Amino acid sequence: MTEPKSDILQGTLDLMVLRTLDVMGPLHGYGLARRIEQISDDVLQLNQGTIYASLLRLQQRRWISASWGVSDNNRKAKFYAITKAGRKQLTAQTENWERISGVIARLLKAER
Amino acid sequence: MAWLWTVLSRIRALIAGRQADDDFDREIASHLEMLVDEYRRRGLSPGEARRAALVRFGGPMQLREQHRENSSVPFIETMLQDIRYAFRSLRRYPAFSLVAVATLAVGIGAGTAVFSFVRAVLLRPLPYSRPDELVRIFETNPLRNWTRNIVAPANWADWRARNQVFTDIAAYEQFRQVGSGANEVFLTGFGEPQGLKSIGVTGNFFSVLGASPLLGRTFTDDETYEGKARVVVLSYGLWQSAFGGDPGTLGRTITLSGRTYDVVGIMPQDFFFPGRDVQLWMPVGYTADMISRTRRPHFLGAVARLKPGVALERAKQDMDRIARQLEAEYPDTNTQMGVRLEPLHDSFASEPRTALLMLSGAVGLLFLIVCANIANLQLGRTVNRSRELSIRAALGAGRTRLLRQLLTESVVLSVIGGSLGVGLALATQSVLTTYAASAVPLFAQVGIDRSVLLFALAVSIAAPVIFGTVPALVSSQTGAMSQRVEAGSRETRRLRNLLVGAEIALAVVLVAGAALLVRSLSHLQDVDPGFNREHGVAFTITLPSARYPDAAARIRGFSEIERRLREQPGVQFVGATGTLALRGTTWSGDATIEGRATTDFERELQHSSTTKDYFQAMGIRLLAGRFFEDTDTRETTPVTIVNETLARAYYRNLPADQVIGKRITFGRPTDNAPWNTIVGVVADERQSGLDKPVQPNAYSSIAQRQQNPLTFVIRSAAQPDAVVAAARRTVADVDKDLAVTNITTLRDLVDESMEGHRFRTTLLSGFALIALMLAALGVYGVLAYFVSQRSRELGIRLALGASRGEVWRLVVGEGLKPVVAGGVAGIAGAVALTSLLRTLLFGVETMDATTYGAVFAALAVVAMLACAVPAAKAMRLDPLAVLRDE
Repeated sequence: MTEPKSDILQGTLDLMVLRTLDVMGPLHGYGLARRIEQISDDVLQLNQGTIYASLLRLQQRRWISASWGVSDNNRKAKFYAITKAGRKQLTAQTENWERISGVIARLLKAER
Repeated sequence: MAWLWTVLSRIRALIAGRQADDDFDREIASHLEMLVDEYRRRGLSPGEARRAALVRFGGPMQLREQHRENSSVPFIETMLQDIRYAFRSLRRYPAFSLVAVATLAVGIGAGTAVFSFVRAVLLRPLPYSRPDELVRIFETNPLRNWTRNIVAPANWADWRARNQVFTDIAAYEQFRQVGSGANEVFLTGFGEPQGLKSIGVTGNFFSVLGASPLLGRTFTDDETYEGKARVVVLSYGLWQSAFGGDPGTLGRTITLSGRTYDVVGIMPQDFFFPGRDVQLWMPVGYTADMISRTRRPHFLGAVARLKPGVALERAKQDMDRIARQLEAEYPDTNTQMGVRLEPLHDSFASEPRTALLMLSGAVGLLFLIVCANIANLQLGRTVNRSRELSIRAALGAGRTRLLRQLLTESVVLSVIGGSLGVGLALATQSVLTTYAASAVPLFAQVGIDRSVLLFALAVSIAAPVIFGTVPALVSSQTGAMSQRVEAGSRETRRLRNLLVGAEIALAVVLVAGAALLVRSLSHLQDVDPGFNREHGVAFTITLPSARYPDAAARIRGFSEIERRLREQPGVQFVGATGTLALRGTTWSGDATIEGRATTDFERELQHSSTTKDYFQAMGIRLLAGRFFEDTDTRETTPVTIVNETLARAYYRNLPADQVIGKRITFGRPTDNAPWNTIVGVVADERQSGLDKPVQPNAYSSIAQRQQNPLTFVIRSAAQPDAVVAAARRTVADVDKDLAVTNITTLRDLVDESMEGHRFRTTLLSGFALIALMLAALGVYGVLAYFVSQRSRELGIRLALGASRGEVWRLVVGEGLKPVVAGGVAGIAGAVALTSLLRTLLFGVETMDATTYGAVFAALAVVAMLACAVPAAKAMRLDPLAVLRDE
């Protein structure tokens, strides 16, 4: 179903979505996309639509839940919130990420 | 866990279908609006803002496709679409769909029903460990026309001791030929005395079968012998029905026919041997001396387990070797005595096998006809549908896509038809099993279980491949190249004629087979059973030896019962016999005819004892001499009455009245048995079946030769139910612990003996009838289509002066083309195939002219009916109207 070469990117985006929802509370797709763009200082320029693949995946795994609500400027929008399982997953993935990025950082330093 | 949620979520989306798509569309729309708002705030015009939003978002259509694919299961998604489309298209042609589904339901239902029998009798493994190693052993003897005879105890013991190929050989008593050959014993102390089917077995019986008890134990080897503890093992059914499944039954003492036994074991539910009617097993209780001395009579069934890796052929050689040894050692009894081995399952199923294979073949042919018929109907729609298919092809559906769509339609039809068919099989199951009760062997448990359902499913899936492929290929072709429709339709018509011809041919084979069976059955019904089947009731009474210890006591007991029965109102005659007609006899022995050389004696004389009024009660005609009289007692000269066949066979066609006064013994010349004077000759009664030849039979008077149990026959003008009720009361008055069993009217007795014949005849006739109707439907369909396509041509012919008779002939001629071709092929097929039926027929040859005449007549009538409607329609065509329409 998933192609290996996009694994890291997908995983990264999933992690970012989970983290954002954990920090910010429930958000709609647009809000999420905006927030990720802002945090990355617009370094990460993504098609905002890309985020929906990640949202679907996370929903299917029951790490986030979705429900229809009304946005700040009175538009109907689907809001996503992190679930308990999602939080557990976030902790696990964060640790994993830190470990791997630590390894990579050390590796890159040692190379020199 | 997460993957499971994913799968569930995808399935949910699959079910939600369009609703989930809408939801996602709204979400994207809302997202885009927010992006537009953002750009508007930055000062862009509405148009620019929307364009920018779309760029930032990425392609929404693409996203939507991707989303759908990821959220659901795409392969199933398209399949569901095909199925939805198939339903729509089937609704559009309701007549076609209805006929197709109905015929499939009948075809698959009939197949499922027959398969449920085949599965129960031939396929389901027997409930013993490694059942393939089990074989049944019979004795053969050309001198006595024995091909599968039961075994004498001493022969069993010698086989067991001398063979090198079996781990062990067990034996069980076979005193009767009815059912499992089980004995009847009476359970008392639990309310009404209850007749139970019991079988005496050797101690190693359960270990040879490799059957373990549910509770308790089975028998030990030394329990074979008399004097060891009196013990019984109960069937699960008896344990449930008589003892309510109480585990405390184990170790309990029960009274059977006046003797006490300890219940030591209870068998599991699926265990049976040799039939499901057997309710308990007890050791034979012979003395070692009796076993080693008894080389006649023969009354044991023998079942053995092959040593691992020993082939049946090897075992046969070893047993032949032993049989030759025994022949040399005991020429008196074992001359020409051979051995026959049969795998146990084959042996159990030997009788019904041919009939079941015949029915399977028939139902297979019927199924092919159903498929041909549906293919034919589908081809008939090809032209009608060519427009729809052309449009779909023009819109870009490839040929494979169209093929898939058409095949999906076929599968949908077949699955609906198959489900209805299974329903049909389930609905008729109880009727069929009751009806087939004596047509199916006692061991088989017929039912629609998982494998039968799997079979129905497999057939439902296979059917569309047979009936759907060709029409789909043809249709998808016409669809793609509509200019070829005209040529295609000619091809289609040829194809349809071919199919109809095939249907006719297959139907003729079935009708011919059915006609032969019907003729057999009617021959069988015409056979005189030798007694008067009207106004007669029969039932069996066993006097327990505990309370009726000697011959005198039993004769007194039976006479008392007979006397009291005779006093009942409406009773004309009451008699009793040791062996009732049509139920089969077991006791046959040697006979010496006075005046012949001492080496010249008769074998296989059937011998039974009767009371004096037995012959009148049965309505058996006296041909010469007299019946038994009260003056025939133990003190007077032994007398006998013989049947016509005996008189003819033993006295070289001497007229009956000259046989009177001759003397015979029931033994060999060397046995020095007492002489019996023949005092009467009676008409033959059929001993073991209307289709079995009558054997020489001698009757002795009960007073001179006691038998127990006896079957009473009452000839009475009263209603059978009333006669039975009165008889029960009378018997209870004499002795309240006596049970009245095997109750039947003489008419039922005759009918039951034909049940196997009737069962297969009815089924095959039903199949043949359906086949014929379907074939007629095929002829009708093709012809009706022919008329509608040719109405213009026919109109012109009429306008140019063709008579209506000519038009009629033209149409009927067209219709009869496939009928004649199919009929000829069918007769050829029938001649080839019905020879397989030979063993199922009675009194009719497979090449019976009358039968084939009837088949021709049936075919002609059906074909004319099928042609008549379209032909009449063609005849009534109004040339003006037709030409105006064009």
